[in-house]
Amino acid sequence: MDTIDEEAAAKVAVDHLDLWYGDFQALKDISLTMPEGKVTAMIGPSGCGKSTLLRTLNRMCDLAEAVRHEGSVTVDGTDVFGVDPNELRLKVGMVFQHPNPFPMSIKDNVCYGPRRHAEVSHADLDELTETSLRRAGLWDEVKDDLSHDALGLSGGQQQRLCIARAIAMGPEVLLMDEPTSALDPISTGMVEELMRELSRDHTVIVVTHNMQQATRVSDKCAFFLLGELVEAGPTPELFAHPKDKRTEDYLTGRFG
Amino acid sequence: MPKHRLERCGLTVTGACVALVTVLVVTLIVMVASHGLATFANDGIAVGDFLLGTTWNPHQADANGNPTVGALPMICGSFAVTILSTVIALPIAIGSAIFVVEVAPGFGRRVFQPLIELLVGIPSVVYGLIGLSVVVAWTRSWSGSTGYGILSASIVLAVMVLPTVTSLSIDALASVPHEYREGSYALGCTRWQTIWNVVLRSATPSLMTATILGMTRAFGESLAVQMVIGNSAQIPGSLLTPASTLTSVLTMGMGNEAMGTVYNDVLWSLALLLMAMSLVFILIIHLIGGRGAVRHG
Ligand SMILES: Nc1ncnc2c1ncn2[C@@H]1O[C@H](COP(=O)(O)OP(=O)(O)O)[C@@H](O)[C@H]1O
Ligand SMILES: [Mg+2]
Repeated sequence: MDTIDEEAAAKVAVDHLDLWYGDFQALKDISLTMPEGKVTAMIGPSGCGKSTLLRTLNRMCDLAEAVRHEGSVTVDGTDVFGVDPNELRLKVGMVFQHPNPFPMSIKDNVCYGPRRHAEVSHADLDELTETSLRRAGLWDEVKDDLSHDALGLSGGQQQRLCIARAIAMGPEVLLMDEPTSALDPISTGMVEELMRELSRDHTVIVVTHNMQQATRVSDKCAFFLLGELVEAGPTPELFAHPKDKRTEDYLTGRFG
Repeated sequence: MPKHRLERCGLTVTGACVALVTVLVVTLIVMVASHGLATFANDGIAVGDFLLGTTWNPHQADANGNPTVGALPMICGSFAVTILSTVIALPIAIGSAIFVVEVAPGFGRRVFQPLIELLVGIPSVVYGLIGLSVVVAWTRSWSGSTGYGILSASIVLAVMVLPTVTSLSIDALASVPHEYREGSYALGCTRWQTIWNVVLRSATPSLMTATILGMTRAFGESLAVQMVIGNSAQIPGSLLTPASTLTSVLTMGMGNEAMGTVYNDVLWSLALLLMAMSLVFILIIHLIGGRGAVRHG
């Protein structure tokens, strides 16, 4: 497992993390690193805590009631629980399972974050809109009418718009929670390709319950079961030679 | 009962209900319209004189021998109290809706919303009484006027429509998908940035519907208004001088006049005007609703 970690420094590091929703322990002693400039996938049956872990990385878990944690999560060596969550989220962007563009125009969606955070001139915003949409592979489809209502786009376009919206903020880490589970196969292919491209400039961490997707897009893969991290390692290795019996059972489809 | 008879029976009974309601609505409209239009058709009063005339004195003839039935003072009065009460009630309604939906949902569900529902059920005469003894007295105490007038009426109406508008605003904010808020938080926005830029913005069509429904209620309310507005059929010179509304003139005048007299016909015309206005309000609500549906569909 350490080959990747030796090549690329750990951008995000989770260390002995436990997390509870009230009395229910959703994460149990998780230790995992996500290498910089790579795609890390988290797989496992639903309810095993993948989303929970992902949402601790940008502290979206704070929004739930009665959440408590122990252990540490660091981004670039800084404890995420020691900084302002709003500052953290500028650096750690997120794309959700269901495309959630705001009910406004395409351009307003892309510019939503920048407008809230910096004094940007209108020329800059136009440029930012174009580069973000280009990088999200959506520019050619929408460039003729950026004032079009975002809710009028197809599901796949909406999800790429959400990706554009997230990268317009210039995050260093991009979290994606099953970003293709609501999309058709063609859109899924586009988004998977995007993940590979985005990992050149961003550290991408993706949750997926689709094992083929994990093999296609990820450099490192982590397998979770019932709130525990069963094993993690370079994707080809994990799929070819799982060390744990439970991983093998899951990969061969014996449960989950 | 045999199956086919049940089927036929069900169809007949429900169909009859629909027919009854339809007949009722049509009869109502036809009745108000025919009486209301008689003013112009039979009594020879020009529509313009009625809508734009500034003197309301149905028992006195003007230079041409026609009764002076200018309804403009009441039209102004109705719109003034409707708009002013909305201006007072709306910010409070939306403000409290934001608090109970976004800040303290537990308190909202357990304490605030039951409280609001309680207020909705209070009969308007009670509001009128309170208005008379508190609002009119208060206005009188600082203004030096009688206390009766548009301002007092608007305050009473604002309190009356507040529960309805608040409760509809709460529904409007609560129905904004949680995903929008998450999307905004994930972009590093604070709670109030999110409320202002995403929640209020996407709830705007429903908030407008809430506002119009409140306005409809204010426009149509008669009893409480009549108790505090002073009932003087003059173009209101200020918010503190006695005035009247379409509804208050109707309730004051209706019992006193025999059917078929010009005065009576003119009262029907006022009723027709009220009906037309509520139709306009409903149309606006449908237009907004249609647009909202397209946006979220
Ligand atoms: N806000 C919450 N409050 C209470 N329990 C939660 C909450 N979110 C998730 N859980 C529970 O935590 C466990 C892990 O959920 P989640 O992280 O969403 O799993 P996954 O994404 O792997 O399907 C599940 O048992 C789920 O019911
Ligand atoms: Mg999940």
